[in-house]
Amino acid sequence: MRKLNKMVRKWMTNKMGLPADVMMDLPRITMIGQFHIYIENHRGVLRFTNQELRLLLEQGQLLIKGNNFVIKTILPEELLLEGLIEQVIYINENTPKKKQ
Amino acid sequence: MKNLWTNTFSGYTRIKIVGNYAELFLNKCIHEKISIWQIRRVGNEVIVCYVALVDVKRLRPIVKATKVKVYFIERKGMPFLFKKMLSRIGFVGGLISFITILFLLSNMVWNVTIEGASPKVEHQLSKVIQELGIKKGKFLFLLPNVEEIQKLATSKIDAATWIGVTLNGTTYHFRVVEQTLPEKQPPVSDRHLVAKKKAIIHDIFVEQGQGKVAPNDFVNKGEVLISGFIGKEGDLQLAPAKGKVLGEIWYKSKVSVPLVNKFSTLTGEKKTQYSLTFFNVSIPIWGFGKPQFSEYEINDNQNRLRFLKWELPIQYNRTSFLEKETQIREYSKEEALRIASSMAKEELLKKLGENAVIKGEKVLHETVTNGKVKLMIHYQVIEDITVPQPIIQGD
Repeated sequence: MRKLNKMVRKWMTNKMGLPADVMMDLPRITMIGQFHIYIENHRGVLRFTNQELRLLLEQGQLLIKGNNFVIKTILPEELLLEGLIEQVIYINENTPKKKQ
Repeated sequence: MKNLWTNTFSGYTRIKIVGNYAELFLNKCIHEKISIWQIRRVGNEVIVCYVALVDVKRLRPIVKATKVKVYFIERKGMPFLFKKMLSRIGFVGGLISFITILFLLSNMVWNVTIEGASPKVEHQLSKVIQELGIKKGKFLFLLPNVEEIQKLATSKIDAATWIGVTLNGTTYHFRVVEQTLPEKQPPVSDRHLVAKKKAIIHDIFVEQGQGKVAPNDFVNKGEVLISGFIGKEGDLQLAPAKGKVLGEIWYKSKVSVPLVNKFSTLTGEKKTQYSLTFFNVSIPIWGFGKPQFSEYEINDNQNRLRFLKWELPIQYNRTSFLEKETQIREYSKEEALRIASSMAKEELLKKLGENAVIKGEKVLHETVTNGKVKLMIHYQVIEDITVPQPIIQGD
């Protein structure tokens, strides 16, 4: 059932030209140079240090590496990070975590 | 996203979170919709961030659940500022009273200067000014405005032709231009005295010169009445003619008086409203509601408040509503005639010189048309008809 749902959504995104982040609960990441990164649709902070921010997503995790990180704002589904961003890495785990 | 600007009003604190599960704490905060911002890791187990003051109480259960320790480091925003001000009440009070006193003092009359007046007029003027309430220490916004002061001062002091009033900061300047009556110049040049109008001579009195006319003579305009030539034929000498020639002159004047007159008078009833205007928004302070007069005149008085040398966008307004009454006066024909003739006489006397006497009057014509009485009156006036005419001698 869940699989079917996903397939329908994917089909709708492709055929109807709807934005993927809305239809499929994907993160929407906006970066401004190296200094700001704005992430929507995250599912919580896993680790936060000066050099690293690890976010939980609907599927997998997002790892941001850099220096002097400050979380400017944080809301249930949005996050604005400031600092010198060096890498943005998706970590795909084979078994997606089921966390609410 | 919550605005930082509103947070400044409601207050916020910087907190230090110490513990292994700082991220968990953050996640729970987000989940509870506690607004936190500017999160920064400062040590291995230490995170600092800002929390809105209203959410601080809701932190407690999360703190307990996540086993972290929370320390409050800084307090920012208005609520804390007020607390600080309260603890230094004397200092803050002094500051506020200083500004208030400065504000009041910059709206006071500090000096009144009078310029260009003789001691007597200056004394008179300073009395009038005092009567108007312009004294050292009075508030500027309670005084009438400059134009009105000027009008009142000019009308009250007859010796001055013009009084200019300017308000320069907190000083009233009065510039007085006094009437200077021209000094009577003795006639030095030789002259004749001639008639200024067509007239019949009534009386002649020669001081110097040679009288050329006798009573009951008819003279035209420009005719010589007293000649400046004196002496016998062949031995003529020139002299400035002096004397008085009274002539009888006829004036015709037309007047018309409407039978029904409409005019309005003030009854003396009035209602005053006070208001303050900030920028363009007017806020009434005292005197509300529309005046209950059916007819009224509005008298506006606006005064800008000032601070030191600047004019503030604040205005103090005083609006007076003066009740008016329209009255209708009706004349009978006889009354109208009487009034018309007295009006005509007054008008004529205004036109004539001081020494003129009205000898007789005669109504030539009277009509009543369109609700108006029209009169044509003939006056016989006796007045001095002499006008000097210098003698220009050709060589």
